[in-house]
Amino acid sequence: MSCPIAKLHTRFAEAVVDEEIVIMRLDNGELLSLTDSGAAIWRLIDGKRDRAALLAALADDYQTRESGMAADVDAFLDQLRKAGLVADV
Amino acid sequence: MSSQVSQRRDMLATETRKTPAELLIERETLISIGRVPRGLYDEEVAEGTWQMRGDQFLLRAQGDHYFHYRSGRGITIERGYGAQLDEEPLWLNGSVYAAIASINGLLPIHASAVAVDGKVFAFTGLSGAGKSTLAAALGSRGMRLFADDTLLLDLSASDEITCLPGHKRLKLLPDALPLTGAIPEERVARAIDKFYSRPLGGHVQAALPMSELIFIEESAEFRVDPVNGAERLMQLQDDHYTTRFFTGARGYDRAGQFVHLARLAERIRMSRFRRPLDRKRFDECIDFLVRHIRREAP
Repeated sequence: MSCPIAKLHTRFAEAVVDEEIVIMRLDNGELLSLTDSGAAIWRLIDGKRDRAALLAALADDYQTRESGMAADVDAFLDQLRKAGLVADV
Repeated sequence: MSSQVSQRRDMLATETRKTPAELLIERETLISIGRVPRGLYDEEVAEGTWQMRGDQFLLRAQGDHYFHYRSGRGITIERGYGAQLDEEPLWLNGSVYAAIASINGLLPIHASAVAVDGKVFAFTGLSGAGKSTLAAALGSRGMRLFADDTLLLDLSASDEITCLPGHKRLKLLPDALPLTGAIPEERVARAIDKFYSRPLGGHVQAALPMSELIFIEESAEFRVDPVNGAERLMQLQDDHYTTRFFTGARGYDRAGQFVHLARLAERIRMSRFRRPLDRKRFDECIDFLVRHIRREAP
């Protein structure tokens, strides 16, 4: 059983421009643009879903197998963790 | 016949009626001469720098040449030792005006603009990118100049962004004059190799809605591309020296500035215009730009 993943809301500001999610890190002003599956994962991170639940929801959204996207999702979540935008809670 | 005349009068009245934002700026930029404070904080303002505090702005140009603004009291100028009077209009129309606009909730952006079919097309880019030259040259194709160098945006309406007509006279480098057909007038200042100029197409003096913000860049070939998504926000973050007055006046921190720029990015259509910096191809450049504007104009 893995931990739920939560956004660290005090670390970033977020906006939607032309259906892209734009996130700014408040510590260094760096911008991150999320589209397609990146944006979908970001929307699904709600502090309740763990990795498995995220994968299941995403597979449902994209009508595909969880195993086919697990590596990409893990890499993306790692990127978000390293940037200090999400954490396992 | 008489009804036609009265109808025409109504149209003229509509065309010349000023918006609340224009009236506000007119009132707040009235000038008087007098003594001004030396600093708005514990430290005196240094030569060539400015301070902003609440509804006040203080700028010190060269020597003892000070400009002080306070909401409701307009601008006070103190001309002391070392003041360069020929540069005074540049300070007034540049930093002082942008700061006053910002304190009063109007956003100044670094852009020159033309008006086409009742909408504003604005050009922005790095200093020296050719904003003024392009806007002036479009005058030779019947597009009237709306603003030079600084464009004020009224963001108060939720449905559209209103641009205030430019307060600055067009300034051009000597080598831009023959390209644009603009008529040169006096030199801007002894130390500045630019001339006040009259654009061939004339000026627009009424507030108008924004149509498009066009970023100008250099490239080997002509092309226009829309700027979408996060890139719009990134473009707005770059090179808008006047926005620092706005963020300062609003007291925005990094997150506040981001939210402000994101809202702006959502509301302004943007494109990137790339063109070769080749004088021999300047007419071709203007033709290309005119075609784009005509396509986008309502």
